[in-house]
Formats: sequence, C-alpha cells, structure tokens
Amino acid sequence: MNHHRKLVKADCDQLLNRFQQTESVRFEAFSQIWRDMKFEQIFYGAAKHNNRLFTRLVLDTAYEFLLPPFTFQIRVGGLYLLYALFHSQTANPLEKIRLALKDWEEIQKFETDSLEAQHYDVVYILKKLLHIKAFVFTAMPRLLAFDRKKKSQMSPVCESFMERPSAPQTLINNNLLEELSNVHGLYENLKSSVCPQSDSSLSLSHPDLVQTLRETVLDFYKWQKDKFQSSESSRDEDSGEGPSTQQESSRRADLLASIKSRAYEQAAQASKSRRHRAVEVDVTKPEQSSTPSARYERIKQKTLRYRATKNIQVSGDMWKDALSHTRITCLTARDNEKPPRCFKKFKWKTEDT
Amino acid sequence: MAARDSKSNIPEFESIDINTKPFHIDSFRAEWLKRLHPAQYSYEQPDEDEFDVHFAQEMGLDAGTMSELTSVCSTDSLLCHPKDEQPDTDLVPEDATLITLIQRKKKQDRKLTQKCPKNRHEHYADELERVTIERKPEAAENLVPEGDVLLTINVYYPAVFDKFNYTRPHMTLLMTGSHTLAELRDAICCVSDLQVCGEFSNNPDIVPDFVSKDHYKSAFFYFEGVFYNDMRFPECRDLSITTIEWAKSRNFPPFTQANMEDTRLVDLKVKVGFPYLYCHQGDCEHLVIITDVRLMHRNDCLDKKTYPLLIHKDRIDTHKCSVCHVYIGRWHTSNDQFAPSDPCLFCDKCFRMLHYDTQGNKLGNFLAYPYIDRGAFN
Repeated sequence: MNHHRKLVKADCDQLLNRFQQTESVRFEAFSQIWRDMKFEQIFYGAAKHNNRLFTRLVLDTAYEFLLPPFTFQIRVGGLYLLYALFHSQTANPLEKIRLALKDWEEIQKFETDSLEAQHYDVVYILKKLLHIKAFVFTAMPRLLAFDRKKKSQMSPVCESFMERPSAPQTLINNNLLEELSNVHGLYENLKSSVCPQSDSSLSLSHPDLVQTLRETVLDFYKWQKDKFQSSESSRDEDSGEGPSTQQESSRRADLLASIKSRAYEQAAQASKSRRHRAVEVDVTKPEQSSTPSARYERIKQKTLRYRATKNIQVSGDMWKDALSHTRITCLTARDNEKPPRCFKKFKWKTEDT
Repeated sequence: MAARDSKSNIPEFESIDINTKPFHIDSFRAEWLKRLHPAQYSYEQPDEDEFDVHFAQEMGLDAGTMSELTSVCSTDSLLCHPKDEQPDTDLVPEDATLITLIQRKKKQDRKLTQKCPKNRHEHYADELERVTIERKPEAAENLVPEGDVLLTINVYYPAVFDKFNYTRPHMTLLMTGSHTLAELRDAICCVSDLQVCGEFSNNPDIVPDFVSKDHYKSAFFYFEGVFYNDMRFPECRDLSITTIEWAKSRNFPPFTQANMEDTRLVDLKVKVGFPYLYCHQGDCEHLVIITDVRLMHRNDCLDKKTYPLLIHKDRIDTHKCSVCHVYIGRWHTSNDQFAPSDPCLFCDKCFRMLHYDTQGNKLGNFLAYPYIDRGAFN
C-alpha cells in the first residue's frame, strides 16, 4: 500500500498545480480539470481486497491539503478534491473522510473566511459534506501503529502550495506596536524626570524603535508580496484560459484580504507549532532510536552464511542439498516429485523522473 | 484553567505520525460532542433537498442563485464518462494518464499471465465484512448510542513467536467505549491458551478437556502506568504485583492498579498509536496498540452484541503432519524410533496408525505431547 502513497500524492499534486494555475476558487474550474484528467479512474482496477485500503489512502492524502500551511486556494482545491473523491469512490459502503479534533478549529476558520469572501460554492460544499455525514470524527487524521521505520515516506510538499510565512507580521502586530510605543513613551518620561539632561551614557534604547520596527515589517511584507506577484505574473503569461480580469482582480483582492487578515491573527501558529514540533521530534529521536541506530550504523560485516557459501566449495548434489532448506514434507516424498511452484511477487518499482 | 484542561484533551502528536500524547477518552468524546450539532453525528438518513432549502435561507440567496449553485456543485459535473456508458471499474482503462494507473496497469498485465486463485481465507474475511457492516440490531436496547466512541485495537503476536512479532497485527478488534477491559481480554485468542500440558503416550485417548486457559486465569493489561488485573475468578492472582514491587525498589515512578472488569474503555487515559502490554498465562506477553479512536457513524455496525468485532485476522502457515502432509499436526513426539526427525509432528490418524496397534497398545518407545499449532485460529 505504501508504494501507492507516492504515486497518489504525485497525481494530486499535478491536479492541484493545474488548479492553482487557473487562479480561481470556483468549483467549475476544478471540475473542468477533474474531467480533463479523468481523475475518477484512479479507483478503477484496484484489487478487490485492496479497494478499501486504497480508498482510505487516497482520502487521507487529499485531506492533508485542506489544512494550513497551504494557501487558501490550495485549501479550496483540497476541499473540492475531497468532495470529488468521496463521490467517485467504488467502495461500498462509502469510506469516510477522517476529521481530527485538532483540525476542527482550522476548518471552522476556513469556513468563516470563505463566507466573508462570499465564496458560496466553497461553503456549500463544506456544509454539504457535513450534512451527508461524509466525515467521521476522529482523534487523529491517520491510523497510527507506531511505525517508526516508515519515517522516510513523507514525500516532499510542493513549495508553491505553501502559505507564505508571515512570522514577522504575527510577532510585530498592531497591538504589540501600540504597547511598545506606550512603554517607550513612559520610559522616556521617567528618564527625563529623573535626570533632566540627556546624558549620552543613559541612552540605552533606540529613540525610534517603534517606527523602525513597523517600517521593517512593512518592507518585508511588500517584498514578499512583490516576489509572490512577480511569480504569479510570469505564470499569467503562460496560462491560456482564465476568468475575466474583473473577476480575477476581485478574486485576488479576496485572496490577499484573507491572507492579510489572517496574518495579523494567529494563522502562523501553525508554522510556530510546526517548528516547535520539529524540535520535539529531534529531541526524542536520539533517545528513542539511539540503541537501534547505533547497532544498525556499525560497519556491516558480511553474514556468516555469505562468507560460508563463498568460501566453501562442495560438489554436486550435496552442494544443492546443503544450500536449500530441508523441507520436512520432502523427507517422505518420492524422488521424481517436483518442488512446489513459487509465485514471484510483483515489484512496484517506480522510475523516478 | 478550563481552557488549558480542554486543550490537553485534544489529542496531539507526541512524535509525528507515530503516536500521540496521552489523553482521556471520555473527555475527548466530550470535546467532540461540544463542538458538533447532534444532527451531525446522529444515525438519521440525511435529506438533501431539505439541506438546499436550509442553506438558501441561511445565506440569504435567491432561488436563481441557489439553483445555479446546486447545478454547478452537483456530483454530475464530476462524471468523466457519460451516464449510460459507465466503464468496467475492475479494469484499468487503456488510455490512463494518471501515474497510479500506469503502475497498476503493469500489475494487471502481469497478473493476467499468472493464475492466482482466491483462497478460502479471503472468502471468509469478505463474508465477515459483508455480514457486519451497517448492521442494525433487532432490539432497541442493543443499539450503540449515538456519540459513543469506537476504538480500533491491534493485538500482536506473543513475544515468543519468531516471526512477525511486532510488525503484523495478529488480530484487529473494534470495540465501543462502553465495553470493559475484561471483554477485550475475552476476545483475544492466543494459541497458548489452548495448550494442554502433559505426556500422553500411554493413554492417548484420555487427553484432558481442560486447557491452560482454564488453569491459569490471571491476566493483566498495562496502560500508561496502571496495571489492570483480571479479578473475576477466585483463582485469579495479581500478576502485576511482582513488577510493581520491583519498580518500587528501583526508584521508578509509581505504578497503580485497577480491576479489568470495572474499567470501561472510555475511562482509560491512553496514547493512540503507542504500544501497551497484555500479559496472560504468567509469561505470554502481547503488544496491544490502540490505532484509532473515533465517534460512531451511522454506517458502522450498530449492534452492541457483535462487539468486540474482529475485522482482521492474520494468517500464519500451519505445520502439517509429516506423513500425510494434509492434516495439521496434533501430536508432537520426541525420542521416537518410528519418526524421521526429532521432534516430529503427526496428525491424529497417522499418529495412531504408526504408534499403536489395532487394540490400542503402545508400540515401541516414544514420548507424545498434544500439540496446538500456531495457526490454529486461522
């Protein structure tokens, strides 16, 4: 099943890439791409006993796109993707979308943002999925079975899907600046009341601290916006079809408004907590895996079996017997009976392009 | 603070994609119920037309916009093929462009060249699923209440097995939150429970009926620093006391004890995805991992009587009789002058034919023990 994970992720990335290029959050644009790629065929031909597992895998992969830190457009694409996959699946009864408790707040916020920006199709689809009970309310998004060896399976996330980091904006927000200027003013007053002359040795703080901070943050925001927009405009030249310019500009205004409004709230807490979590994993990793990894990373000596087979030469039938396992069923079998057929397993080799 | 308490009941990853921090299951359930409207987790069939009307009212949309919205967002717009020409979903289409399908096509082509018939175990598994999915109870009191919690528990092979110890779950059970740990214990089948002790070469017909399960009834579960002992029967002893006293003498954090039959699954404080222990027969230890905790859904099996529900059972190869290679070995002999190897397995018929004459007298020297194969539960 895990060999499918990368393939499914690649397909989803491709779909969302195309959706991102349309620069629209309308469901029509999405369904056009869906039909074009014939994405519902992803369920065809799955072996019967694997069907449910595969559907589970596909829905879990698509679910990740619904959450931060992806951009608003990608999250909308993720929602549409979930809706489409849920309805195209071939499992019966339908496999549900797992919604974890920790993600509920994010989803609610996403819904309110879409409502404020008047993206009725987004809200309609989200509410519809909740209404038809497509969600199942769980503790965690995926089934966890303490798979420590499978860490390397996290496939790389598309950079262009990610939300622009807005850590400076969150840190230096309006409230903080206001408080800083108040405190600064009080400090200056106290200082001047204590020692009337401005002594150079007592000037320990920047006189224009608040102003400088604010300007730096605005510069950063402008630089980010320019960088983002320049890459967008280069893509504009490539994309042939697109919505009308008025719709586009209003849609872009919506996007930027939602991004900006969330930049000054706690949206970047996701990235903060990610950083925090990343640190946690690093701390626990050496403790958990110190003994096994120390053992595995030692220079591997060739096994005794390999060395023995290489060095010992015995001729003829005895050598053949010595190499193969003694099968207890063959102790009483006739001499001219063939050993049982072995089926070769299919190798899911992917060619990395 | 109330805010901080509620935060600790929201499961978070302790190690990403591996396991979570410990949380109390009933509080987790309360957190979800606090956030949801009862209609969102009820068992009622959802009504689509009513939803459209309600949505239009809530958003203040007129009929024209609403109808446009429904037609644009309907699932018909997702159909890649016209309605009357639905292709066969069992085959990969010829002109597939998705990467997943290209790989799958290769396997399908490969499979057509080899014949792999479906074996009976897979038939049993399918049948089991077909019977239990979406099952509604006949009597109302057997209905699992709405908003109850469903846990998926993996029980692994005992530590003494040489294969698949910690990677493949031996069985996967579904349980509701209102079940007790004692019920979970009863649902776990282990081969070591069926062992019969003793040497029976002289009297093969009088193999006793009682098995190890009846002799050694004690067992315990270990979750998050608490040992849950089985104290239902007077013969049960507290197996965990040894570990607790050993730990006390070595400055470990203190462990506590509780009774298995009094603890419901919702009362537990556990980490999802983290291995815990089930020990029975004194030394037969199984890893237990709770892989999933979620609210009940209308498509789940709603009959209380079917739980604990087995949804997956691993198949392990059985050792057959050395003579006929057909029947599973039931007798294990050693020091046997008739056998080609020491020890050797025989099925009942071959064993009697080889070692006893028609009157039932023992021929030759050997020691015979009743043998329970590892795959006895297949």
